Amino acid sequence: MKAILTVQNITSDFVTSFWTPLFVAIFVAIVTYALWPRNKAAFDEAARMPLREE
Amino acid sequence: MNQSQTAKSMTHGEAGLAVFFAASAFLCLFAAGKALDTAFAFHASLACAASLWAVFAIVNRYYDRPATLPPREINGRPNYNIGPVKFSAVMAMFWGIAGFAVGLLIASQLAWPALNFDLPWTSFGRLRPLHTSAVIFAFGGNVLIATSFYVVQKTCRTRLAGDLAPWFVVIGYNFFILIAGTGYLLGVTQSKEYAEPEWYADLWLTIVWVTYLLVFLMTIIKRKEPHIFVANWFYLAFIVTIAVLHLGNNPALPVSVWGSKSYIAWGGVQDAMFQWWYGHNAVGFFLTAGFLAIMYYFIPKRAERPVYSYRLSIIHFWAIIFLYIWAGPHHLHYTALPDWAQTLGMTFSIMLWMPSWGGMINGLMTLSGAWDKLRTDPVLRMLVVSVAFYGMATFEGPLMSIKVVNSLSHYTDWTIGHVHSGALGWVGFVSFGALYCLIPWLWDRKGLYSLKLVNWHFWIATIGIVLYISSMWVSGILQGLMWRAYTSLGFLEYSFIESVEAMHPFYAIRAAGGALFLIGALIMAYNLWMTVRVGEAEAQSPVALQPAE
Repeated sequence: MKAILTVQNITSDFVTSFWTPLFVAIFVAIVTYALWPRNKAAFDEAARMPLREE
Repeated sequence: MNQSQTAKSMTHGEAGLAVFFAASAFLCLFAAGKALDTAFAFHASLACAASLWAVFAIVNRYYDRPATLPPREINGRPNYNIGPVKFSAVMAMFWGIAGFAVGLLIASQLAWPALNFDLPWTSFGRLRPLHTSAVIFAFGGNVLIATSFYVVQKTCRTRLAGDLAPWFVVIGYNFFILIAGTGYLLGVTQSKEYAEPEWYADLWLTIVWVTYLLVFLMTIIKRKEPHIFVANWFYLAFIVTIAVLHLGNNPALPVSVWGSKSYIAWGGVQDAMFQWWYGHNAVGFFLTAGFLAIMYYFIPKRAERPVYSYRLSIIHFWAIIFLYIWAGPHHLHYTALPDWAQTLGMTFSIMLWMPSWGGMINGLMTLSGAWDKLRTDPVLRMLVVSVAFYGMATFEGPLMSIKVVNSLSHYTDWTIGHVHSGALGWVGFVSFGALYCLIPWLWDRKGLYSLKLVNWHFWIATIGIVLYISSMWVSGILQGLMWRAYTSLGFLEYSFIESVEAMHPFYAIRAAGGALFLIGALIMAYNLWMTVRVGEAEAQSPVALQPAE
């Protein structure tokens, strides 16, 4: 019983103290993806999507 | 395509839904008989009648339709389903006028209280949620459902998923509005702002909303375009988050399953925090994310320019997703909510300024190379001014969330002014612009009946908004200053009723502003009606957009 509680505590501690760096890391990854030079052509194409549909 | 004549039979969806509504009709009839209060009896009867109608409509539709369901494509081009889009677009216009009219009535009641008529059903307390729900959920909600069903089909180049499901969503949602609205008039409310409907209406909305999510998701899954356009991301965030907020804020235990009264599971300050977590994210995901989706599709389309920066759209989308959900506590400054939570809410609200302005910049700059169109196209002008109001409201919001500013602004008309600069200026104008684009497209018209009338609508409504928000600023700051004024002996300088008396001229100006906004909407309704009635038909393309039925 005690062991389970400890595991729960560790998980809960992990979640509560690590969500900030975790979310920041995810967000940084998204920004990197958005600004990655090789993706530019695809994004410029996507920006025209409303204009080329029929 | 092989059109071999197959034997006609009901789909699982048709049969299942018909049985579901038949059972629902029986259950509602039983509930009406067992009802403990008249409002519940009325709603159960209404739901019984609606269920019977639904059974009849489903069976009737089955007998009228050909043996095969409408194909997803005709000659390799998507066969768009626009019937449900048309339905919600029309309902949006109807509820918009109803909601603005009730708003004008309650604004007038504040200036001239005799307009309460001394009747319970027309008292301010019951009409106020009727106004807010009618404009936000009925008008705004129908605009969002109509545009989302249109945009997702167009940008995914595929037919809307489901056969009856899209109709279930649009009609079911409007039935929820009917139950909620009539409930307010009869005094049925769980007293949570923007979440007033009682438990049975909440349950029904949950079913409708999950269906909405499934229809939208399945359409995206079946898309012919590899990339999911940014507007669909915003719509999806809106649909998913509203589902989460609705479930989080509304777990209630009915006093009896045969009565309308329920008690919420959360207690005390937790309930307050849940309420404003819900309330502020309804602003963030219903009134912002959803309408940003409209901006990202309709402004490029109308201006005939690509989205200014697609990269910015990705970054500000995710920034909004990560930040908005924490801003709620700014509604509870200087309350029993722990100080750290208040400060957290304030901090995230200030940070939200950046992604909000990212969206505004992206919307405005999409006009680069097309600014001259603002002179000639009042519809585009309406869309662009809406984005400018979005920028103003999202500047003012973070400012008001700062605790010291909030100590002056909270509980005053400044809040009302702020809300309406966002609601009338941003949500209202972007919706009007979208409907002005959408109606000619849906009914295959070359253009609107009259751009001149759009111009009149634009100016009358703009003057209305200016009157509204400037009077509320003055009135709000005056209230705030009067409430905190002390005499040299340390007594409050003004009694509360003196501050009420001081509001009168501003309430009259506000009502005048609301009247102008309503007149603008009536002009719009006439213009759209005439567009459908007498507008010149678009030259038929080889594959006409044919409605499903």
